[in-house]
Amino acid sequence: MVSYQIQLYSVLRSKLAAASVNLEAHDGVTAGEVLDALCDQYPPMAPYRNIMRLAVNQEYALESRIIHAGDELALITPVSGG
Amino acid sequence: MAKKLNKRWVSLSKTPLDIAAAYQFLQTPAAGGIALFIGTTRQWTDGHETTLLTYESYEPMALREMHLMVDIAAKRWPISRVCILHRLGEVPLAEASVLVGVATAHRPEAFEACRFLIDRLKVQVPIWKQEHLTDGQVHWIEGNEPPETTVT
Repeated sequence: MVSYQIQLYSVLRSKLAAASVNLEAHDGVTAGEVLDALCDQYPPMAPYRNIMRLAVNQEYALESRIIHAGDELALITPVSGG
Repeated sequence: MAKKLNKRWVSLSKTPLDIAAAYQFLQTPAAGGIALFIGTTRQWTDGHETTLLTYESYEPMALREMHLMVDIAAKRWPISRVCILHRLGEVPLAEASVLVGVATAHRPEAFEACRFLIDRLKVQVPIWKQEHLTDGQVHWIEGNEPPETTVT
């Protein structure tokens, strides 16, 4: 098992009162599985399940994307810059 | 501010945007038109009064996405110079939070590329604004749609 650290921003950072969360999962887990597991473990994330993206190494990942130990992960809810 | 590459200037900054510097950067004899869009902090939205906006960003990814947008625009339009500057932290009323500028040989391309870049920024670049209201409430503005995924 790998302990993945996932960065939080904006509304998720406020709702969870944390700049990051950790998730135990296997090496080779998919982005979609990471999103599902996070929503199970952190209920405030659940309403965002279908509108948030997992960023992997600073790229918006497809849910089929394979994640490896050492990847840089962040949760991105719909943005509001500008 | 961050370094200006040859034809593009992309930066995030915690200090007020230097609009004169952006205009100066965009000026080139190759261009017959410069389109400049500046987004500013609005006081009234649907009957509630804003006193301040604060912006936060996942900075390395935001810069990366801004550069990707410029790459896409540069393939679609013959761009001579382009800049995208976004302010982070506190942005008081009426001050600029974002500046998108495009210089092209002819006017239509400058308008089109500028519109494309600001519209895409608002969906794709990981920057979020927090609204501070006169009644003391503070809340995150949540966008309408998730960003496009990158196929890799």
